Parts: sequence; C-alpha cells; structure tokens
Amino acid sequence: MTTQKHNDTDRSAVMIRIEELVPQARFSLRVRSERARVLSESLGLALPVRIGSVERKGEVEALCLGPDEWCVLAPDKRRDALIEASRAAYAKIPHAFCDVSDREVVLRLSGPEALTALTTGIARDIESMEVGSAARTAFDTATVILWRDDENSFRMDVWRSFLPHVRALLDLAQAEFAAGL
Amino acid sequence: MTRFRVEGKGRVEHAEPVNFTFDGRTYTGLRGDTVASALLANGVHLIGRSFKYHRPRGTVTAGSEEPNALISTSRGKGRYEPNTRATVQELREGLVAESQNRWPSLNFDIGAVNDKAYMLFSAGFYYKTFMWPKSFWNKVYEPIIRAAAGLGVSPGEEDPDRYSSRYLHTDILVIGAGPAGIAAAKSAAQSGARVTLVDENREIGGALLSDPRVKIDDIGAWDWLSAQLVELEELGVRLMMHTTAIGYYHQNMVGLCEKLTDHLDELPEGAPRERLWRVRAGQVVLAQGALEKPLVFDGNDRPGVMLAGSAQTYLNRYGVRVGDEAVVVTSHDSAWYGAFDLADAGTEITAIVDTRDTPRADLAREAERRGIRLFAGHTVTGTAGRLRVKSVRVNPVRDGRVGAAVTVRCDCLLMCGGWTPSLHLFSHTKGSLKWDESQNAYLPDHRSEACHIAGAGRGLWSFEAALNDGDVAGRAAAEAAGFEISDHARFAVAQDRPGTGVTHKELPTDRDAGKARAFIDFQNDVTAKDIRLAVREGMRSIEHVKRYTTNGMATDQGKMSNINGLMIAADALGEAPPRVGLTTFRPPYTPTTFGAFAGYHRGATFELTRRTTIDSWAEEHGAVFEPVAQWRRAWYFPKVGESMDAAVLRECTATRNSVGIFDASTLGKIEVAGPDAAEFMNRMYTNPWTKLAPGRTRYGLLLGEDGFIRDDGVIGRITDDLFHVTTTTGGAARVLNMMEDYLQTEWPDLTVWLTSMTEHWAVVALNGPNARKVLEPLVEGLDISHDAFPHMSVADCKVSGLPARLFRLSFTGELGFEINVPARHGPTLWKALMEAGAAHDICPYGTEAMHVLRAEKGYIIVGQDTDGTVTPEDAGLNWAIGKKKPDFVGKRSLARPDLVMPGRKQLVGLITENGAKLEEGAQIVLDPNQPKPMKMVGHVTSSYRSAALGHPIAMALIEGGRDLMGDIVHVPLPGVTHRARITDTNFYDPEGARLQV
Repeated sequence: MTTQKHNDTDRSAVMIRIEELVPQARFSLRVRSERARVLSESLGLALPVRIGSVERKGEVEALCLGPDEWCVLAPDKRRDALIEASRAAYAKIPHAFCDVSDREVVLRLSGPEALTALTTGIARDIESMEVGSAARTAFDTATVILWRDDENSFRMDVWRSFLPHVRALLDLAQAEFAAGL
Repeated sequence: MTRFRVEGKGRVEHAEPVNFTFDGRTYTGLRGDTVASALLANGVHLIGRSFKYHRPRGTVTAGSEEPNALISTSRGKGRYEPNTRATVQELREGLVAESQNRWPSLNFDIGAVNDKAYMLFSAGFYYKTFMWPKSFWNKVYEPIIRAAAGLGVSPGEEDPDRYSSRYLHTDILVIGAGPAGIAAAKSAAQSGARVTLVDENREIGGALLSDPRVKIDDIGAWDWLSAQLVELEELGVRLMMHTTAIGYYHQNMVGLCEKLTDHLDELPEGAPRERLWRVRAGQVVLAQGALEKPLVFDGNDRPGVMLAGSAQTYLNRYGVRVGDEAVVVTSHDSAWYGAFDLADAGTEITAIVDTRDTPRADLAREAERRGIRLFAGHTVTGTAGRLRVKSVRVNPVRDGRVGAAVTVRCDCLLMCGGWTPSLHLFSHTKGSLKWDESQNAYLPDHRSEACHIAGAGRGLWSFEAALNDGDVAGRAAAEAAGFEISDHARFAVAQDRPGTGVTHKELPTDRDAGKARAFIDFQNDVTAKDIRLAVREGMRSIEHVKRYTTNGMATDQGKMSNINGLMIAADALGEAPPRVGLTTFRPPYTPTTFGAFAGYHRGATFELTRRTTIDSWAEEHGAVFEPVAQWRRAWYFPKVGESMDAAVLRECTATRNSVGIFDASTLGKIEVAGPDAAEFMNRMYTNPWTKLAPGRTRYGLLLGEDGFIRDDGVIGRITDDLFHVTTTTGGAARVLNMMEDYLQTEWPDLTVWLTSMTEHWAVVALNGPNARKVLEPLVEGLDISHDAFPHMSVADCKVSGLPARLFRLSFTGELGFEINVPARHGPTLWKALMEAGAAHDICPYGTEAMHVLRAEKGYIIVGQDTDGTVTPEDAGLNWAIGKKKPDFVGKRSLARPDLVMPGRKQLVGLITENGAKLEEGAQIVLDPNQPKPMKMVGHVTSSYRSAALGHPIAMALIEGGRDLMGDIVHVPLPGVTHRARITDTNFYDPEGARLQV
C-alpha cells in the first residue's frame, strides 16, 4: 500500500539543499514600543509591529520578535553607519542596539523536503507559516530563528555553539530522504 | 502450495513466495502474510508457551491485540527483538523467528510442570507463599520466580538501527482506516481541511479486508477500497500505514509510531527502522473499531482455539483455512458469518454451538443449508488435545442447569464472546465511559479533548452504520475545526453482516468450576477462578482485583480480557458491572520500542553538545574534554604518554612561570544597556556599581532572594549606560532568565535591556608573568602597560587586526588578560597568540589547570565550593557587598536569624600534615576517636595537587571554620584518617603582588 523507493543516493540532494550563508551584520534592537517608530526613522529602518512579521527597506531587513524587540539584518558594509546612527539617536531615544553579528550562523534550507527536514526538530506548525514571515522557536532544544522566505526556502539562524548538533540532526534527516523513507 | 492455503484467495501475492524460519525450520509463506498467517497456512498453531503455567499456546487473534503468539525475530547482528507479535509482523524474506518461554523445546517444555501444580499458583500465590523468611525474598524467591516466569529474552547487543522522529500538524487526525475512518477522512478532506489518516495495518480497509462479499454503493468491498485509495490521495489526505497511534495526550497531541523497515526484505542504507510522530491535531476522529472477546471455559487456551472473527480474517484476507474441522462456539451473530465463509472454502464446520436458546432464524437456515449441526442453548465445558485441540465437550443448558456432555471432534475451535469497542485512546484522554446495558459494553460518554468517535468504537455494528457514522464524524470534525462542510454522503451497503449478541461471565459447566482452566487473560495466565478468589479474599474494586490477579497487566493491556474479568468480578460481588468499574488504559496502545522513543537522541546526537570556535583546535591538539553544563570543554592537553596529573601540573607550572592560554569562550556574557543600567546592576548584584567608572571592571556577586550565592563573574562598565556582564558557564541562561524575570515583573519602570552575547564573542584568556609580552605587540589602539591599563580594566581595541574587547583581569592570580573577539575570529586569534607566545613557551591549559590555579588563590567556583546554601559571609565574600545600598536581591535574607547565626559552615583552606591529597566530598570531623555516628562538621569542596606550593591543597566548608584557623581537623577516608590544618583559602601570593605587574 505504501510505495517505498530507495537506493537513489542523489535523491537527498534534490530533495533538500542545506548551505551555510555568508555572515551579515546582525543587531538586536530593543526599544520601548511607543518609541519604535521615531527610532526607526532615525536609524533609517522600517520596523514591523506585528510579532513574526518582516519588513525590508533597501538591503536592511527587520523582524519583530517581541513587543520591544527586533532583529535587524544588514549587509556588512552598513554596520558602522548603523552603529553610528544608533549612537547619535541614543540620547533622545534610549534603546539597545547590540551588534550580535557573530552570535548566530545562518543555514539556508531549500528544496521540496526542506519543510519536512525542519519538522524533525521544530514543534511548531511550519506549514502554516506565511511566506515572508519569521519566528523565534527551538530546533531540538536549540534556540533558532526560522525565516520562511519562500514556499520551499527557509533560513534558520542557529546560535553558533549549537550548530554542530543541529547540523548532525539535519544530516540524519537527509539520510532518510536518501533512503527514500 | 501449503496445505491450508486457499488458491487465489485473500490479499496475499500467491505468485510471490517468501521463505522464513521458525525454531530453525524453514517455511514458505506469501508476500502479504504475517508470520502467524504463514505458519497457519503451514498448519502450525502451536507457537509458544504461556507466561506462568508454560501451557502450549497458539495464535488466538489476527491483530495487534494478540496475547499468545509472541515470538522473537532477528535479522543479523543486533537486530533481535523479543515478544514480537506474530500476528502483526509481516513476513519478509529470510526472517528468523523463534518461539519463547520454553526449554528445552516448544513441544516438550520442562516448565510445563507448573501447569500440573496449577492449583498452587492461584492469585496472590507469590505474596502468600514466599513471605518467610523475609530475607529470602531478594536473594532466593524473586530471582527464581523471575527466571521461571517471563516471555522473551532481552536483547544483549547494541541496536544498530536508527530511529527517527518528526512533528506533524494536521487539522484532523483520523485514527483507524476501516470503513468509519475512511468515510471520516473523506468527508473531512472534502471541506478543505488538512487530514491525516493512520492505521497500524499495511493497507486501508479494516474489517472490510475480512469481508470481501460486502457491496458498498453497488461496488464490491475490495474494489471500493481501491477507489477510496485514489480518492483519498486526490483529496490530499496524508495516509500513513504501518502506523500505530500509541498515545493520546493533552490538547490533541497524539503520538504515532510508524514502522518503516520491519516488513522490508532489504534494509535501505541509512533507513530508520521506526519513526515517532508527535502530532498536534485540531480535531481527532477515533475510528478504532471493536475487538472480539473470547469465551471463558475450561481449556479455552489450547492451540487451535481462536477467535472466530480472526479465523474469518485468516481466510478472507490471507487465504488461509485455520483447520479442516472446526467447531464454532459463540454468543454473537458475527461468528456465524465466519463459519459460513470457512464452510464455503472447504473447512468442515462440525458444529455451531450458540449459547443463546434461539439463534436468528436466517442464520440457522443458512447453517442448515450447509449441513452444519447446530447446538442452540448449549455451553462448552472443556477441550482435549495436548499440543492442539482434538475435541470439545458440548452440554445443553436448560433453566441454568447443565446437562450431559457430548464430545465433538475438531482440529480448531472458533470462539466469539461478542465485541468490545476499542476505547483505549479515548481512555488516555480521561474521557468518561458509560455502561450500555443492551450491549454490555462501555461506550464513550463525556469527552475531554476535541475528538469524535465513530463506528464500532461507539458500539455501532454493521458496515453501513459504520460508514455513515464515519461520514458524520468527519463532517463534525471539519466543522469544529472551522471548515465549511457539504451534505452528508449516504452509503448503501448490500450483503451487510449486521448482528447482536449477549455477554457472559465464564460459561456454565457440569464439572467443578474451581478446577476449570478457564482463561481470561491469556498472556498473564489469569483464570476465572483467580478473579473469584480475589473477590473472596476481599478485593472489591476492579483496580484491586486487577493488581491482585494481574488480569490485564500484560503487554496487551487486557484488550481481550478486561470485560470478561469485569463480568466475573461483578458476578462474584453481586454488583452491576459499572459499579465495579473499569481499569484505565495507559499509553502506549501497543508495545513500543525504546528506540522509537529515543529517536535521534543516541550516539553523537544523544544530547545537545555546545562547542566553542576553538574546540576543533583543541581536538586537533589532543585535548581531553569534559562536559560543563551543555558545553564540552578542553579538560587538559596531555602530551603523548602523559598522565592527567602530570599534564595538569605541567600546564599550571608553565602558566605560573611564563604564560598559559585558555579558551574562556563558554563564560556567559550579557550586555546590560540603557539609562537605568547602573541602577539595575545595583539591584541585581550585591556590589555597588554607581561609582564604577567606564573602562573599569569589578567582581560581581549574585544572590537569590534567599541570600545564597547563585552566580558570580567579572563585570565591566563599557559606557555610563552599558555593562558587559560575565557569568559562570553553567549559569548563563539561568542568570539571564532571572534578570529578565525581575525586570519584567518587579521593575518594569527601569529603562534597561538585556542581550545575551555569549555566542557573539570568542574569549581567550592569557595568564602568566609573560602575558603582556605576548599580547602587547598584537594590540592596536590601546596602551596596555600596567599604569595605563591597570588590573581590572576593560577597553575596546584591536588585537592582531581583529576588533576586540580587552579585559585585564585574573582568575589565576597571575597577570591576566581576556581577549574577546567576534566569534568567527576565535581560531584566528588563538593561533596568532600561540604564534606570538612561542618565544615564551606559551602553554595551552584546560579546565582542570584553571581549577587548580584559581584554588591556589582561593577563588571560589559557584556550584563547587558553594551548594545553594552558602552566603557571601560563609564564603568569605562580605567585601563584595555594597553595605550602603538600600537594597539588592537577597539583602533582606542576609539578616535572617539563621543566616547570621554563629557556627555556620564557612569556607576555609585545608593542608594535610602528611602531604596527602584529600578527596573532594570527604567529610570532616573534629575528634576521630568519638563514637560512631560521628559528628560531621563539614566537607571538602575542592582538592588538588599544587605544583606552585609543592603540596596538595584543599578548600572545605567547616562549621565556624574561620574561628578554627590553625587547628587540626580529621578527614576519615577508607582505610586512613588524614590530619589537616585549617588555613586561609588564599594559599599562593596572598598579597597579590603578581597581579600588579
């Protein structure tokens, strides 16, 4: 009744591709919600207000992680300018703008089985995540941020020291696709 | 063609033989067989010996409720499994099966002597017999009893298989792919909902697989099933076969165990054997059907005696006749249909014994047409045959009196005592049940989860009723899940097989009922007489009866036995069954492997292990690692052939004499930022922070509300509004949580934010008199001379061209620096420092040397020298308390009477007189000659050999320890009691001159 195919070793590469992305500048932005709009103007950012939603302005991406918390991603070359803008705005609008560029490593998972591979470690309903949204969640107890960039394309930001564990689990999941099971 | 296979019949592949062995003998079955059906096709009924009496036992059922047919299976090294149900295990080429619980052989088993002494082994036998002498229980009685009883042998080798797990979210989960489940999945999916349909079998169909003559909407049952398969796929239903719903947990979380490879001839490379699914379902439809009950009479466990419905399944689904001459004994109409099917397939039905006086007229006519002898209003009072039933005693019952017996020859006896709705999963949810008088069965009543029960699971009998009920349940589930539903489908079933029946306690007999071997629980060898004995001995509740007799406590959880046990207990008590109650079913529904529960968590992925960026360098350079909280850290770096002690002493010496390098990346790091940062720090930590200037650092001490030490670390003030807090490795997450907790619940008025930076920075510690010489040439943008950058300073600069935050601090008592760089640069920095340090024989050291070096200075490790009951005063850290601060976490507790009481344990140093190293955890006494039990005044918290001091040192918590300076205490260890002198904890360079260079 169940169809079972196996012994196709290249299959997993087609079903899912996992790659480590080149690091970007990453900031943890904290500011009282009522002052977020003013601050976003000073920093030249677009800050979404709904938790889990992502806004892009130019090359800068901002994800709302909590009522007073955002994750800001920018190309490396924008890092110093953003830090400078934060410093300039601080006296008027107190906030925290921490450079956490090296805290996470970003994995890109793409392909028809990317979502399934993620379900080996993530308890939430990934299928129902809107394309273009993101969420802080856990992959087998490791804190991650999961971005759904497309139907079958995800980014997963993993705290650096957790990466070997997460990769090892994803490798096991990949082996299952290779085995056709 | 095997003897009992019916050509062309069943859903097995007649053209595809599959070979396997049972107890060393080779047999041939067909693709699609189970081990049980293949053995039955070969005429093999005897398959094992029973748990307690070692009675010969055969296959009783055709499903996962099987209590008897337990075998061991194996497929090569490590792939051995005991207690596999032969009725579930699909045949695969080369499968090796063995019978269990027999010695020396299945046909002749020494343990069967238990059966002769069966009068002795009644309920409670062990409790009564083996009580005295009491000391015999552990050493004599229990081991012997355990060896004699039991089923399969535990696997002795490591399991080489992989196990997988996944999460699944679905709007509607339908459990059971029989007619009700199929109809429910279809109608739910038509609403647009995400639907998952699971079944433990290899294909959908449930009871329809055993009843091919049924016509649904004018289509034959099996053609209808093929059409459903296509439709379900088109509707996007996720169909999961070989998948058992093992447990139903809170908020519609259902655990599924999917068997992936046990049925495959070849194991695909890297394939997991089983996969555990954690399903969160919006709505659940339980369509688990009903399980047939045996009748309870003397000898109802003999091989060849089996459930009538199962015989029908073996015939229609597997094309196997279970015998040549069958007697049917039943209290329900359903067994008649099976008898007719078997008769039509060539098995002689010698007799149908119906316990009811007037069986249904149409059934009686059908029996007559086939020339089947009918015994209506009769009972069965015994069977004969050693390893297989040979005959059965049949007696008339008139007005409750049992008449004379006739003996009827047979090679199989097919019994049916009615059907029990399968409500195991519903029972997991604590949904309540209601006793149904007319069916003598428990039916679902109040639901505690978002679930719907359909079909035979709620007592409906007939395919038409089940199909239409499934359709309704599917729609109800879809509607409850917020989907729009369409009109009801109406299924019309022709040649349906409706039926009713009655429920019995044990069948009446003309013999001594007290001597009847009338089994209720086949797997635990519990008889009707055991239940009655339990009641006579005072058990009133069914829960007590269960535990006293072990009825229903085997791995089948009483799927066949619970209701029969209840009926007999109720009769013995003279109560209605619902007043006696029903035991609760627990997960898992069927026995589940440990592998499935463990999933990926074995071997390298057993537990999350965190690694620093310098971890791979350490590994390449021969480090031995130790786990510290979630991290693995380099413990020491032995040279070839070097012992741990020698390596640690060498690392310590090199650091004290020149320079050592240490990976400190695991320390927790938190940025505290905002206008109220200093105020927040004042409230959290014991120390004063207001006057700490930017660019300076301070040792910070964190207490709990109870005043006991929770964490510590060096904290730098980067700007007026920004603190760089470090925590212990293990405390990082806890401290951040504690800070957030206070911030959000106690001080929401403070404008301050906390950010975890642990993983952003890689941290390398350089310690030793030559530390500056190594570091200085690499530093840009900062003067790190002693005057310009004194002890306890912090500044941002560049090191080896990398952006860095540089601390000058020391956890060794030597000149020390901690260099933070963005984590990706950790290895680069490490290598640059190793290169720069080569001229000074720079020495990498691990956590053990770090522990020794800090102990020589009396620096505490939270969690080693403290245990959650140590105050700053106890630890000698009162200097770290800001006395003028109005408040900080734990301040009020520090004034509690018991925390200021004299005689509290205080942290002191210990040096043994004989130069021996003490054991950590060793207890301390003042007078070694006092009578036992001695008064223990404290214990050793840290103990090391010290190269710098030339003798071992220890730290200890001792009652009133600081008032005993210079005194001798005694440390009794196995075989020797050491004398040790109490000293200050600051053993090495007490003036701290080595820091100020």
